[in-house]
Amino acid sequence: METALTKVKSEEYGGELIQLVSFNLEKEEYGINVLMVREIIRMLNITRVPNTPHYVEGVINLRGKVIPIINLRKKFDLMENDYDKRTRIMVMEVVGELMGFIVDEVSEVIRISEKEIQPPPPVVSSGIEQECMAGVINQANRLLVLLDLEKMFTADERRLFTNVG
Amino acid sequence: MAIDCEDQELLDGFLAETTELLEKLDDDLITLEKSPEDADLMNRIFRSIHTVKGASSFLGFDMLVKVTHKTEDVLNRLRKVELRLNPEIMDVILEAVDLVKTLVADIKAGEIVERDLEGTINKLIPYLSENAVEATVLAPVFAPKQESAPAAPSSAAEPEPVIEPAAAEPQQAAAPQQAAPPPQPKPQPVKETPKPAPPKGGEDLADNSTVRVDVKRLDDLMNQVGELVLERNRMIQLHSDFQTGLDPTGFGDDFGKLSKRLNFVTSELQMQVLKMRMLPVEKVFKKFPRIVRNLARDLGKEVDLIIYGEETELDRSVVDEIGDPLIHLIRNALDHGLETPDERLAAGKGRTGTVVLSAAHEGNQIVISIKDDGRGINPDRIARKAIDKGLVSEEQVAAMGTREILDLIFLPGFSTKEQTTDLSGRGVGMDVVRTNIRKLNGIIEIKNELGHGSEFILKLPLTLAIIQSLLVEVEGEVYSIPLASVIETMRVSKKEFHMIGGQEVLKLRDSVLPLLRLQQAFGVSEVYSERDTCYVVIVGVAEKRIGLIVTRLLGQQEVAIKSLGKFLANLPGIGGSTIMGDGRVALIVDPIGLVGGGAA
Repeated sequence: METALTKVKSEEYGGELIQLVSFNLEKEEYGINVLMVREIIRMLNITRVPNTPHYVEGVINLRGKVIPIINLRKKFDLMENDYDKRTRIMVMEVVGELMGFIVDEVSEVIRISEKEIQPPPPVVSSGIEQECMAGVINQANRLLVLLDLEKMFTADERRLFTNVG
Repeated sequence: MAIDCEDQELLDGFLAETTELLEKLDDDLITLEKSPEDADLMNRIFRSIHTVKGASSFLGFDMLVKVTHKTEDVLNRLRKVELRLNPEIMDVILEAVDLVKTLVADIKAGEIVERDLEGTINKLIPYLSENAVEATVLAPVFAPKQESAPAAPSSAAEPEPVIEPAAAEPQQAAAPQQAAPPPQPKPQPVKETPKPAPPKGGEDLADNSTVRVDVKRLDDLMNQVGELVLERNRMIQLHSDFQTGLDPTGFGDDFGKLSKRLNFVTSELQMQVLKMRMLPVEKVFKKFPRIVRNLARDLGKEVDLIIYGEETELDRSVVDEIGDPLIHLIRNALDHGLETPDERLAAGKGRTGTVVLSAAHEGNQIVISIKDDGRGINPDRIARKAIDKGLVSEEQVAAMGTREILDLIFLPGFSTKEQTTDLSGRGVGMDVVRTNIRKLNGIIEIKNELGHGSEFILKLPLTLAIIQSLLVEVEGEVYSIPLASVIETMRVSKKEFHMIGGQEVLKLRDSVLPLLRLQQAFGVSEVYSERDTCYVVIVGVAEKRIGLIVTRLLGQQEVAIKSLGKFLANLPGIGGSTIMGDGRVALIVDPIGLVGGGAA
């Protein structure tokens, strides 16, 4: 359904429009392609899993399916904070597996044209690993970092993930 | 050449049906060799091949038609006792059936490969000519009630031209047959093909992607689901009553009753679904007569394979996994276990060796045994080999009992064969068998009587999806330990722990038990520091024992195993996860991982 919607819109605007879900982490705004996002849920009880990388918060029960949860703050080496009522888990499909990502707040779905995406600047101050930045969107009063989560787990890291301990 | 078939559903149906028929065919053919006079069996085999032929000609699979057509001709002559079954004919028929299987596999893979048919067909042809007729003509065992029977055997009419004229020509070229098969009433196979329920997806037609379920079981299931819906409605009603405050006093009682009924319905439902996942072990066993026949001929041995309990049901996940280990064990029994006929006679046994394959339920387990009446395993020889290969030292062997020596055959790299053959001797066999069985949470035992044979017994859990487990608390976190590996639990005071060489141990009766603090192994932060007693869960894997220190025992529960996904697949000491009554996830401890990689 989402695909159909995106298609219609993109035809209307000349074939270059994409939709992003925007979310906040440490007061910065990030965007992720809406087609990656399965659902957005409130915080649940997370079961810690031993011997995993520090940014793996644990696993949750998503309607009978057990999925791993990653804390994006920890992943990006940002300061940790307590969860509040705005904290959300974004459930996404990354390389064929469902995963949840904890973010501070999910704000909206925005439409941008592909032309607005600029390549990421060479130096990134916030500590976000360069490779998972797909680009930057610079609009009148906001700066949005576009993430590519598939790239977040490099081959090396995926191996680390499975052979930890 | 890609497959050009407009009707995917028809093709799926054809593949499902054909695969099933061919599976059965192998078994039937082997049985036929033993009892060639069985007219019913003969007719059944004939009908199977005939159905495959009809369906493939309808769908235009020319190569398949060619092979099945010739096979059918030979079978027809056998059926009418113009030919007498002997091992040579059977070999050719089996070869043809194998070719048919290859062709069907090609179709399944979606790509028709040009294969050499002539070789097999040419072997079939001699049996079609008049001079191949054996002098012996048995009493007519012809059952005229079969659908294809009334047709005259003399007509050389090709059944194909009606639908697929192209198929006819190469066939005529292949062999001028006098006694061609009866022309088939064409519409019949046509009607048959669409009948089997077409699998939903259609892309993946691997043997186990579809299930056939008894309609009655499905009805029962629907019934249970209906019950469940009723209980849910009752629950919603109860909740709204409670909120509007109509009946606050009776709420507790009603809720108690409701949860009891829900418990009942869900257990029933669980049983039903579990039953649907069950497959008779026959699915694996029916491959074996053929394998044994071939092996016996290759090895020059005479073997009777006796199968018991093939109707025993077990979970499909287990069925899928036990095939290979069983083939290994059967090969071993034939190759290592049984003697040649001459050796047997010299040892005062009958010429023909016996291999008994049996399956049975035993409590919550299924027990599969492979027993031969061969020479048995000689422990001295095993020990010598193991020392020669440098797997163990002489001193180690000297300290071993017979059972431990027999267990040496499971070591990687062990083999008693001097020479490597295609059958055995590579030294990987038993090691792989044991690893596979362990993966299924099963155990393997050897019973051995020198000179009289040996028996390998596999004990496997009925299902891998639901296990009994012991829930424990480790400093506030809940973990689940598979009950199958728990030997005992005990409450101990921390003062009873001793340190030996940096390893915490507990004196347990006569032995010393190594301990592992789950709190440390799993990096749980300590919350109850001032408690001076704790619980020790003693888990055992094979001969190894280890005590896991936990804070508290929470009880025993049946849990459904959920995978952690591929990102968290290989965590040491964690075998999976499960969902608790309150919806939280609890991790399942993997005792093998802990015992193997941990303190032991």
